[in-house]
Amino acid sequence: MAKLTLDDLRKLRDEKKQTMNQRDADNKSAEVIIGMGTCGIAAGAKGVFDAFLDELEKAGIQNVTIKQTGCMGLCFSEPTVEVACEDMPRVVYGNVDEKTARRIVREHLEGKSLVSDHIFDKPSTDIIKGDK
Amino acid sequence: MHATICDLIMDLVQNSIEANAEAIELILRETGNQIEFSIKDNGKGMSKEVQAKAIDPFYSDGEKHAHRRVGLGLPFLIQTAEATEGRAAIESKEGCGTRIHFCAEAAHVDLPPFGDFASAATLMMSQMNSGELRIVREASGKSYTLSRTELEETLGNLNETQNLMLIKTYIGSQEDNLRKAG
Repeated sequence: MAKLTLDDLRKLRDEKKQTMNQRDADNKSAEVIIGMGTCGIAAGAKGVFDAFLDELEKAGIQNVTIKQTGCMGLCFSEPTVEVACEDMPRVVYGNVDEKTARRIVREHLEGKSLVSDHIFDKPSTDIIKGDK
Repeated sequence: MHATICDLIMDLVQNSIEANAEAIELILRETGNQIEFSIKDNGKGMSKEVQAKAIDPFYSDGEKHAHRRVGLGLPFLIQTAEATEGRAAIESKEGCGTRIHFCAEAAHVDLPPFGDFASAATLMMSQMNSGELRIVREASGKSYTLSRTELEETLGNLNETQNLMLIKTYIGSQEDNLRKAG
């Protein structure tokens, strides 16, 4: 590929925006947060990010933002991914490999159903209270 | 040890972001048979005592997770340098910032593979919410520079999926050009 300039990048963005506007958009927004601490990186969070990007593009899903956070304190179940989708419970998924990331896109973000076998149950705050 | 050099760099840049840095500069250079990078930030820095402890894998300041007893970011850097007969240096001043430098022989048998820089740089660029992250990348006599604020001015919100894809394509094209002969 030829080396792109910032102007090329701006043009590409405008083109993408146009095609996006032509689609029938489901306007509900979603946020995907990937754990990128030392533990997340070591467990392959970068590959998970690539898989999310790729699958979201293939599925043509819009209104999704991908953010990162440091260690969530769940190092043993990395890569961890938190998904907040409008009208759905906020969920933390554990042991998310690239295949699971693609499933989260298709089942959770597109199909609006949780990927149950990867849900990480957060302990209730009243149970862990006072244990700091 | 991290699986790739890019993973190691991402981890260290994340340290800078978590230290509330407003300006971070990453210089990553491959010259002849050497690979070298430095990360300079104006984050909260470390006192001499914390610096000495930070290289111990069984130390974490406990601010984020009270029960966590490990902190492997800087120990991974030092481990990689030791395994490859390379050099790692950490200079830090409390309240001023931190500078990290790493250099090793590119062909050393124990040096982790380089990794996918386009994807790593996209992650670094979109991880910082405000301030400047400047990346200077040099290889085989060519170079390019990336600036977080410039990308944000061009694209808008860097966390939007569409923009992340565009940044990855953009950086990928810069990397391709760097690797091209001649």
